[in-house]
Amino acid sequence: MKQLILIVEDDLSVKKLLEITLKEYQFNSISSDGKKGAMMLFLTHTPDLLIVDLGLSDGDGKELIEQIREVSKTPIIVLSARHDEKEIIAALDLGADDYITKPFSINELLARIRAALRRKAQEENISQNVLCGELEMNLASRDIFFKGEKLKLTPIEHELLKYFLLHTNKTLTHKQILKEVWGVGYQNEMQYLRTYVNTLRKKIEEDSTRPSYIKTESGIGYRFSCNKE
Amino acid sequence: MNQKKKNYIKHSYIFKALAVLAIITLISHLFREHLDIINIGLIHIIPVVIVAIHGNMKATIFITALSVIFFNFLYIPPLYSFSVHNELYLWSFIIFAVVGWIITVQAKNLHTQTKQNELRESLLHIISHDLRTPLSTIHGTINLILANDNMDKKDRKNLLEDINYASLRMKRLITNLLDSARLHSDDIDLEYEWCDFEDILGVVLKDFSQKQNDELLAIEIDDLSLFWGDNILLTQLITNLLDNAFKYSKSDTKIELKIVHFTSLVKIEIFNQSEHIDKDKLKNIFDKFYRLEDTNDISGSGIGLAICKSIVKLHGGEIKAVARDNGISIEVELPITKKATLL
Repeated sequence: MKQLILIVEDDLSVKKLLEITLKEYQFNSISSDGKKGAMMLFLTHTPDLLIVDLGLSDGDGKELIEQIREVSKTPIIVLSARHDEKEIIAALDLGADDYITKPFSINELLARIRAALRRKAQEENISQNVLCGELEMNLASRDIFFKGEKLKLTPIEHELLKYFLLHTNKTLTHKQILKEVWGVGYQNEMQYLRTYVNTLRKKIEEDSTRPSYIKTESGIGYRFSCNKE
Repeated sequence: MNQKKKNYIKHSYIFKALAVLAIITLISHLFREHLDIINIGLIHIIPVVIVAIHGNMKATIFITALSVIFFNFLYIPPLYSFSVHNELYLWSFIIFAVVGWIITVQAKNLHTQTKQNELRESLLHIISHDLRTPLSTIHGTINLILANDNMDKKDRKNLLEDINYASLRMKRLITNLLDSARLHSDDIDLEYEWCDFEDILGVVLKDFSQKQNDELLAIEIDDLSLFWGDNILLTQLITNLLDNAFKYSKSDTKIELKIVHFTSLVKIEIFNQSEHIDKDKLKNIFDKFYRLEDTNDISGSGIGLAICKSIVKLHGGEIKAVARDNGISIEVELPITKKATLL
């Protein structure tokens, strides 16, 4: 069954590009050029995923994200212009799953759509193990293995890696990670996050200046990538 | 020698004004009976005006003082003395100064405007050239691929790499232009946060081609220390330094990048091999739009290193270019202003 994607975008050329691409790659799509229309379509068609442009002509895309998150966990991918880091962070903190900046490559967008849909499917039937590249986490024992061997991690490194493994292929803002791993009240303690990402990279990356798992999204946060399958 | 001559030509208007003052003195002296004191006073403003339109405040003050002294000494009673009996004449002197001041300020504004226009024009010229070079690569290569359906995979991949690299170059240039506008407005606030140079490098390297990454770059970075600075700008700094090194290095030679933490500063050193370079010229390479001669075939606006300098300055650091035996090394020192407290 084809999956349905709702496009919320007021730039006609971008909208057209998205519609054609999605059709080409076996997705169904519906689209709206404004916030209000989008909410209507969302409620009547229950799409599997949304692509939302942040700058809409009839208001802020963030408000739409907020409204949708009140009623549903449907994956949302945000489209945004460069230089909008604050906007992107705000949208992610409001519950958007991922973002992509214009001009974007179609392959990257498709990869993010697939990752978001896959994550949604995984959440619906939790398995015994989380697999990511050469990393494996046993959900029952909470042990993490790298290349078949148990990783030696400090408690915080372990918590951080666990959080990453449970949220793979998704952009996580600094704030979100700090809040989930260190706890409420630590949202702005960037030095902890930088330090532990650095030490964790030394343990799982082949070359920590060219990371293949923990990718930095400059000014926004991190993305734990599992495309190395 | 040359410099002196230039200086002389630049300030020759002062000598003109002095000559005019001499002629005026002569005329006023010869026709003193027919010219009233008012007219004599008015013609003494002429040298002031001549100098003031050049917008040099010091020169204006000098010539105004001189005019006033001549006028006072020769024509204002008591004659041939510097004392003034009627205090109304003091007002005349003040008016001399005011006229000189107004004209100088206006002239100054005009000068800066002309300069800005020149800068803007050269900027437009450079941008159009620099954007067009990668664009023509992209355009030409795409057409080549479109025209050859049976191209073998490896050739196609190479061509696509070229397109990719050209588009990355365009992207960097646009980022640089936007940043340069931002960095040169005076009231820029750095967004300080804890930065990890290794993390920054990871972001930077994504913007270079695979070949540059794997074969041509040797990185040396010491163990983790966090640096208190503007993450986005430091990323831009490293990107520009690397971009510059790749652009001007001899083809297929290694670039060496070193980032070392000392107790009070972080030192970033980037070395690329190149043909012999005139040491005198190295000083200027951080100026906007300055490029070493005989590099005209390399696409680049010279804007990258100027931005590096702004970023380093904003962090209170130093940047310099040093000629080594077989290449150039750019060295950056950033002072450590805050130490991270770790768990």
